[in-house]
Amino acid sequence: MDDLLPATTLDAPGPPAQAGPARLRTAPLFRHSRLNRLADRGTRFVLLACTLLVVGLIGGILYFLAIRGAAAFIPMAGNTDKVATFRQVFLSTNWDPGDGHFGILPFVAGTFAVTGLALLIAAPTGVLAGVFIAKVAPPWMRTLMRQVMDLLVGIPSVVYGIFGLTVILPLVGHAWLADAPAAGFGVSAAILAVMIVPTIVSLATDAFESLPASLDEGSQALGSTRWQSIWRVLIPAARPRLLTACVLGLGRAIGEAMAVQMVIGNNPQWILLMRQATDQTPVLRFLFTPAATLTTELVQELPNTAAGSTWNNVLFAMGLLLYLITMLLILATRRLGRQEHA
Amino acid sequence: MDTPDFKVRTRAKLADRTMHAVLWLVALTFVGVLLVFVGAILKQGWPELNLHFLTSMPKTLDAGGGIAPELLNSLYLVAISLILALPIGVGAGIYMAEYAGQGRALRFFRLCVETLAATPSIVLALFGMILFVQMMGWSFSIRSGAFTLALLNVPVITRVTEESLRAVPRELIEASYGLGATKLQTILKVALPYAATGILTGVVLTAGRAFGESAILVFTAGTNTSDKFPDFRLSVPGETLSVHLWYVTSDGTLPDASQIAAGTAAVMILVLLVLNLLVRLLDRAIRRRTR
Repeated sequence: MDDLLPATTLDAPGPPAQAGPARLRTAPLFRHSRLNRLADRGTRFVLLACTLLVVGLIGGILYFLAIRGAAAFIPMAGNTDKVATFRQVFLSTNWDPGDGHFGILPFVAGTFAVTGLALLIAAPTGVLAGVFIAKVAPPWMRTLMRQVMDLLVGIPSVVYGIFGLTVILPLVGHAWLADAPAAGFGVSAAILAVMIVPTIVSLATDAFESLPASLDEGSQALGSTRWQSIWRVLIPAARPRLLTACVLGLGRAIGEAMAVQMVIGNNPQWILLMRQATDQTPVLRFLFTPAATLTTELVQELPNTAAGSTWNNVLFAMGLLLYLITMLLILATRRLGRQEHA
Repeated sequence: MDTPDFKVRTRAKLADRTMHAVLWLVALTFVGVLLVFVGAILKQGWPELNLHFLTSMPKTLDAGGGIAPELLNSLYLVAISLILALPIGVGAGIYMAEYAGQGRALRFFRLCVETLAATPSIVLALFGMILFVQMMGWSFSIRSGAFTLALLNVPVITRVTEESLRAVPRELIEASYGLGATKLQTILKVALPYAATGILTGVVLTAGRAFGESAILVFTAGTNTSDKFPDFRLSVPGETLSVHLWYVTSDGTLPDASQIAAGTAAVMILVLLVLNLLVRLLDRAIRRRTR
């Protein structure tokens, strides 16, 4: 029995002090002082506090935005001018804060227009790229694609913005619009699409890779081509996770501020402008009329407004609305996740 | 049995070949987009990159300004925000991986971390502006910026910590308990060292995100820099590279705004390429160990 233990851990040779198994002589690996036990118990609470801080942050953000946003509608201490009504804010397209008009519909519509357009580009290409990486690409191409997506997701939004401003806008302007600026939903959506595609691609790749191999093998054993098996078996099977990928991409697009602000043209009256202009086809008008979204308007006007003014408070209400929309999208992905398990 | 329908078979094969080509086309388009993008930014900015540009003060009205304080502020803000976010993020990550169990509480915490991670940066900016700039009276300063930026970092670090800790092999943990270690000792001496490379990768990724962030900093750190250089005080305004890039293009008072913007963008791309390389090296280190 003795020779089973490493020699160094045995007592020095000689007559054993007492009968029994050889004792270990090295210092114990882990000390058990009272302090240690106390630390062990205390840590739990410190770590819990960290976690609760993260939870509390969300509450804090909602609270502060709600207070400032509510001040736009309810007279509060610190208000410097007359409050607006819900109707004037949420059901009006007239944004003219200098004149007391605070309709935010143009920005809500702008946000949905630009993100919807971006998703229209990013969702199909992102899913195709995902299936390509997971099922079709040779290993070297798979690695290359992963690196490309890593780099695309790491590029800062202002750099996307400056690229749009200095490269894409002039290019598009020359091609379609003679001398008019090409700012608007078209270029903004194209840039947004590139920004959210890495999110969709990486989640879509995961979705396809996590499908059981038997699905693919079974389909091919029945004689389907590569594409038939992708289109009829893999994509339907991965559908809930693909939808989740798109919803998360949409969430990213809705929250993006700087890149869009630099190329969209920042015109709160875009609905009016679009109605008046008649020299272009409706599609071109929609794509290239300078417009605005919730985020771009915040970036554009928040620095110029005084705290306590209704104008300022309405901007905070817009921020709250933006946050609530993002939260709804997160909850939607939870729903989709449950669908997948059902 | 009928003879196989050749028309259908050939059509299927044609579709297969077409879609194969389409898939390659989509993938190569993304590669092309990245190449054109990085190429254009570097090409525009290359002529501006010289020692003078990197080491002199920005100018507000004349041409020929540099980006020295912006470069310093970028690194300084990223560092402070990481120092603020690391203990909280890692702490919450450890709690979720080792203490929270598998039940409802864990699901709720995960939902919160996910929600915070998906919070638009402009919303964090509004929050930071109310809390730090206005209520705490810190005005537009490095500390307002750093604290708000930390909010962006915390959820990412939390998630990475939790994932890395969950990837620690069960046997290691059990061996540690078997040797008589307490839970804390197991976490500190066995689990965290194993997960460290993964956490570090996450931290570098977070640093890259914080480095590029602009919306938050426009409203908390401001669009000015201190007149002194280098100025490490936390109470002075701290415009960063990304904010500078945005500000000079949208403000339009600088005669050489487009050159300054091009140079700044090129510097940012170069820094991010270096960070990306670092992540790749760390990733390789992780893979070598798990093999």
